[in-house]
Amino acid sequence: MSFLASTGQGAIELYQRIRRLASISAAVVQLAAKPSSWTKPTRTVLARQIVFTGYDAIGFIAVVALLAGILVVVQAQVWMGRLGQSELLGPLLITVIVREVGPLLVSFIVIGRSATAMAAELAGMKVRNEVEVLDSQGLDLMVFLVMPRAISMALSVFGLAMCFVVISLGSGYLCGAFLGTGPGDPGIFARSVARGVSPHDFYNILAKTLIPGLLTGVIAANEGLSVEGIATDIPQAVTRTVVRATMAVLVVSVIVSVLTYI
Amino acid sequence: MQELSAILEYKNVTVHPASSQMWGVSGVNFSLGRGEIALISLEEGRERIPLVPLAQGLVSPDSGRVFFHGADWAEMSASRQSVERGRMRRVYENYGWVTNLDVMENLCLAECHHTRRPFAEVEEEVRGLARRFGMESIPAARPTRVHGMVLRKLEWVRAFVGTPDLILLERPLFGAPKADAPKLIEAVCEASRRGVAVVWLSEDVRVMECRELGAVRRFRMDGEKFVAA
Repeated sequence: MSFLASTGQGAIELYQRIRRLASISAAVVQLAAKPSSWTKPTRTVLARQIVFTGYDAIGFIAVVALLAGILVVVQAQVWMGRLGQSELLGPLLITVIVREVGPLLVSFIVIGRSATAMAAELAGMKVRNEVEVLDSQGLDLMVFLVMPRAISMALSVFGLAMCFVVISLGSGYLCGAFLGTGPGDPGIFARSVARGVSPHDFYNILAKTLIPGLLTGVIAANEGLSVEGIATDIPQAVTRTVVRATMAVLVVSVIVSVLTYI
Repeated sequence: MQELSAILEYKNVTVHPASSQMWGVSGVNFSLGRGEIALISLEEGRERIPLVPLAQGLVSPDSGRVFFHGADWAEMSASRQSVERGRMRRVYENYGWVTNLDVMENLCLAECHHTRRPFAEVEEEVRGLARRFGMESIPAARPTRVHGMVLRKLEWVRAFVGTPDLILLERPLFGAPKADAPKLIEAVCEASRRGVAVVWLSEDVRVMECRELGAVRRFRMDGEKFVAA
């Protein structure tokens, strides 16, 4: 195949993948908005996924946030102090932690910790014929398998990002205070951070957590359910989930940042 | 025009073998009304035929049509198909369990999904059916932790939960204690009296000759051909 043909083929495949992802995501949102979708078994799946993806990950996220807070906040405090621009500390922290690092790191952690598990679980169900068992009992696969998982992923990423932001800012402040590089008075620190927050940040963090979370869930479900009955395909589905979800998170983050702040 | 009173109807259905694990069928042509039972005798070595997946609209025929409650599966939307499958119960030829749910959740799954009945009420019905089939308790474990023979009888339980219109039994006695067969036959007869249509696939001659099942329609497989017995 010529270079031009293979490039064109690749572009067509990418377009088809994006279109498929977009249509599944739209169907998920549409189904989630219908009260009739939320039968007891579906609610149970949602609750279990939130516990696994969100609640169970809080400890790990807290540790990462603690360390990230120390790294970012201490550096910011030191350099802002040296440049005599301490009043810019708040905006800088908001820019780095709230707008970019928090949502991105949380999304990556959720991909590594939960999306991989979800893809493997669904691929295993496909291999063991359990998907047909559900289908034959009249359980719509979009309603029972895909929708609650994607929604739980979106909600979990949002909740975990909130935890991340609070813990990293808190740990950064405490570390700065301990090293004597910070503002000392927690009120000054809080006011400095609050000054840096704009209304855009609210929409930014919503968009950078809910959309990537939803897409991650949809990608994991799609890759898992695409396996064609062979156990050796499961690791490949997991790998594709990591690669495609990471790419989706980065692309969405860039688009949201551009749209929000430029 | 298909018979409007028929719950399930096959019209000149032919399916070619799709894989090494599933045989084809040809000339399937019968309908089943309320309370009717169809016994289909399978040939030894050719037990796996796609009659039940066809009845559920999970497999499309290569030719012919399959109707459920007068509607052609091929013309139904995906959501309508799910609703219609909720009116059926099935004992599976293969492993018929979802391993990330426990046994009780599996047993109540379809009924809780398709109706507004409280879980506790469905659970109570399941326990009652289990006692009827000689099981004093339901294992509080995932299906992979439960013995195959127990799982097979629990599939019988699941087949009678709620008020299905159609029960599909794929070799339900395979792997089950022989002594419990009369309990299943009795449950099938009772369901039939309530108006439930039943399709029973079996390679067991005793089932085909069972007189307790009453007025039933008997068919057999002759190679890939589906013929009246």
